[in-house]
Amino acid sequence: VPQTHSLQDLRQQAAVAAKVFIQRDYTNGTLCQFQTKFPSELETRIDKQQFEETVRTLNNLYAEAEKLGSQSYIEGCLACLTAYTIFLCMETHYEKVLKKIAKYIQEQNDKVYAPRGLLLTDPIERGLRVVSFPMFRTSRAGRRNAT
Amino acid sequence: MPGVSSGGGGGGVGTAVSSPPRPFRPSRYVPVSAATTFLVGSTSLFFCFTCPWLSDSVSSIVPIYIAVIFIFTLANFCMATFMDPGIFPRAEEDEDKEDDFRAPLYKTVEIKAIQVRMKWCSTCRFYRPPRCSHCSVCDNCVEDFDHHCPWVNNCIGRRNYRYFFLFLLSLTTHIIDVFSFGLVYVLNHRQQLDTPHAAVTMAVMCVAGLFFVPVAGLTGFHIVLVARGRTTNEQVTGKFRGGVNPFNKGCLKNISHILCRAQAPRYTGRPYMHQKMEVQPPFLRPCLTEAQLEAKILDNGIQNDQHSTRQFKSGLVLSDTAGCLFEQFSKSSLDQMESQSADAEAPPPPKPDLRYSGLPPADTEESSLLTEAPPTPSMFKYRPPYSSPGRNHSALSHSNKMIRGESLDSPCPSILKSSRQPSYRSEPSSLDGVTLVGGGVGVRRGGGERGEGSGGPGGAAGGVLGGVSGHSLAGRSYTSYPSSLVLSAAGSRSSSLRSAQIAHNPLATLQSEGTTDTSYKSLANQTPRNGSLSYDSLLTPSESPEFESAAHELSPQKPPGPFPSSAKAGQPKVVSPSSPLKGYTSPFLSAQIAQQREGQLLQGSATFSSPHRAYLRAVSPPPPTSPRPPEAQHLIQYGQDLSSRALRNTSSLSSSPGARLLEPPISPPPRGLSLSKSTAYTGETGSQYKLRPTGGGTMVVGGEVGGGHHAPQ
Repeated sequence: VPQTHSLQDLRQQAAVAAKVFIQRDYTNGTLCQFQTKFPSELETRIDKQQFEETVRTLNNLYAEAEKLGSQSYIEGCLACLTAYTIFLCMETHYEKVLKKIAKYIQEQNDKVYAPRGLLLTDPIERGLRVVSFPMFRTSRAGRRNAT
Repeated sequence: MPGVSSGGGGGGVGTAVSSPPRPFRPSRYVPVSAATTFLVGSTSLFFCFTCPWLSDSVSSIVPIYIAVIFIFTLANFCMATFMDPGIFPRAEEDEDKEDDFRAPLYKTVEIKAIQVRMKWCSTCRFYRPPRCSHCSVCDNCVEDFDHHCPWVNNCIGRRNYRYFFLFLLSLTTHIIDVFSFGLVYVLNHRQQLDTPHAAVTMAVMCVAGLFFVPVAGLTGFHIVLVARGRTTNEQVTGKFRGGVNPFNKGCLKNISHILCRAQAPRYTGRPYMHQKMEVQPPFLRPCLTEAQLEAKILDNGIQNDQHSTRQFKSGLVLSDTAGCLFEQFSKSSLDQMESQSADAEAPPPPKPDLRYSGLPPADTEESSLLTEAPPTPSMFKYRPPYSSPGRNHSALSHSNKMIRGESLDSPCPSILKSSRQPSYRSEPSSLDGVTLVGGGVGVRRGGGERGEGSGGPGGAAGGVLGGVSGHSLAGRSYTSYPSSLVLSAAGSRSSSLRSAQIAHNPLATLQSEGTTDTSYKSLANQTPRNGSLSYDSLLTPSESPEFESAAHELSPQKPPGPFPSSAKAGQPKVVSPSSPLKGYTSPFLSAQIAQQREGQLLQGSATFSSPHRAYLRAVSPPPPTSPRPPEAQHLIQYGQDLSSRALRNTSSLSSSPGARLLEPPISPPPRGLSLSKSTAYTGETGSQYKLRPTGGGTMVVGGEVGGGHHAPQ
């Protein structure tokens, strides 16, 4: 049972045994989508459905961010009219969705992945090229001491 | 900080990895300064001298209109200049490990049923997404790279293309406005043309007229590009000239895509949100189905899984065979070598056996090699501890040194050196790899015989064989030659050349990499071999990086050399020559290892004459000959290439692995000899160079192996 954060706990954090990378899916051009193919390394750690659902949700969120809708159009016009000074005060639509994605990833990690020794990293940190999935070593001797 | 953070790569990092700081080059700022000066200066003069009359005589709307257009132009100019075009942060090292030696230079991806190639960027260490390109001026990979504009001193990419395009449109409009209204002024002041106002107006008109032609031309060009859904880079390189552009969505959609798309986020300089995750075992496990359990039982383990899931293309079969063969040879040769090479030091414990025993599949071998920490002092002992430029030097000197068995130098430096060549993935290296294979094969066949090696190379189309087979073969072919260039094609070349020479110890060449220059020079009793060695040593440089990289991988120790970071960084990509093999998806690593072993064996054998010879002959049993010819061919050509390169160039190509290999390969004493020899060959093969970094076995040897690496930029 995970304990509260303490120095000892942190030191006892599991080490990364391997890293799985989910690559981008370019079949629809440069639209930001990630491959939903279930990597074999995760077979022992997580359900296929769970993983696919996570990736699909991420894909949907990214599609929403890049959508050519009224939101982006209005934003563009406004930016033009104000000589782009609006970017100083307003957050772009994409950035808003990125925040949403970050929250989603955090929530998924809390609920689904951390208990299974995985961690879903935000792909924005790698330029939206790849989703990295560090897999934590499970072979720690015994259980964590409750401190 | 021990905590686990979700930040990629490493906790505590504030921002994504970005390009390193670049030197300040004032010349870069001249065009942008000139553009700014002309734009702002001319318009200001226009406002001061012409607009008052215009507002009075024509209408007061005119100056306002011109002011609005001017501000819009300026705003777009600033955005185009200062906005991040979509720079990709450098990939972190953990991402590299996925693409190891066997990874090809290109990855193909299908976009709307059209095959698009993604090239490996050696600087940024990832496969460039479609439409991404690496800007050599900014030294960054840029998403949807259009071009690098000197007038704004910035790359134009996904994030700022819209602003650049609008800048061009607005600037054209502005120029037209200024010119026309200036003309109106001049036409109305024909009798007062000597006044300063008129003079200034005319000057401004001249400037406007002068800039109108190129700006309008560029604007028209970009209008066409936007309508077609192409980038300047794609247009200029003719990517979709004959084919279909998968990014073309139709004229209207293309335009709206450019102008109305949401502002893309920046990838660099983002504040990382470190997720404080408590990740502790025990972990939950999914319920495995029967089939899954069965699969698990058969499975070798995660490590092997990872390796087995890697692409292991056509070269697999051959590489496996080669790997097995090499294992045998290397083991035996190493043993022999060790027993014989006790010149100055006690023979190192024979570790290779541990590593290579019973590892038929190349990937398994690789995985085991990578995951184990095999302390094989014997292998490392021949690593030349040289700095990067000196790498080639050491390579050259290997053979002698190895022979003497005195090079107990830490392999670390050399390994580090080799690992410091991240550009291994560049095209030239891929080419190298192929050649190596060919060369090796050819040489081997001719091993010991005259000139037969040269016949081999012809058939070395087997890029497919990949590094493993190629290298292994190369090593074998070198058995006939004391050159340590088992790994490098150069070696193959030399081998063919040396066919006339007595087959000493090809392993010596391998070992030579590990030897230092001093030892090489000091070898006095190697005269006949020296000549060949020197020749080989020329070739060796190309191999040494591979050699070193392989050793680096294998070595359990993290050499605390002067380049720990580089070694680490370069580790996954250490083997540059292997990268060409990657194009053929060969288990390069195993090949390298095999070569190394061979080299060592050869070196050891070099010390004897007849017994060695006998050994060599025994050692180099004719493996499947079919793949040989192409390999030999490649190797030989590669060797030639390398030698020529070594001769020609020294330091230029820092970024490309190929260049590195070819760097200062010439070691002092035999240099003269080798140089002359290599030059001779260079001339022959120079014309043959045609680098085709595409995957598959169709490697055309002979391109600018070393120089090719520049091309990607």
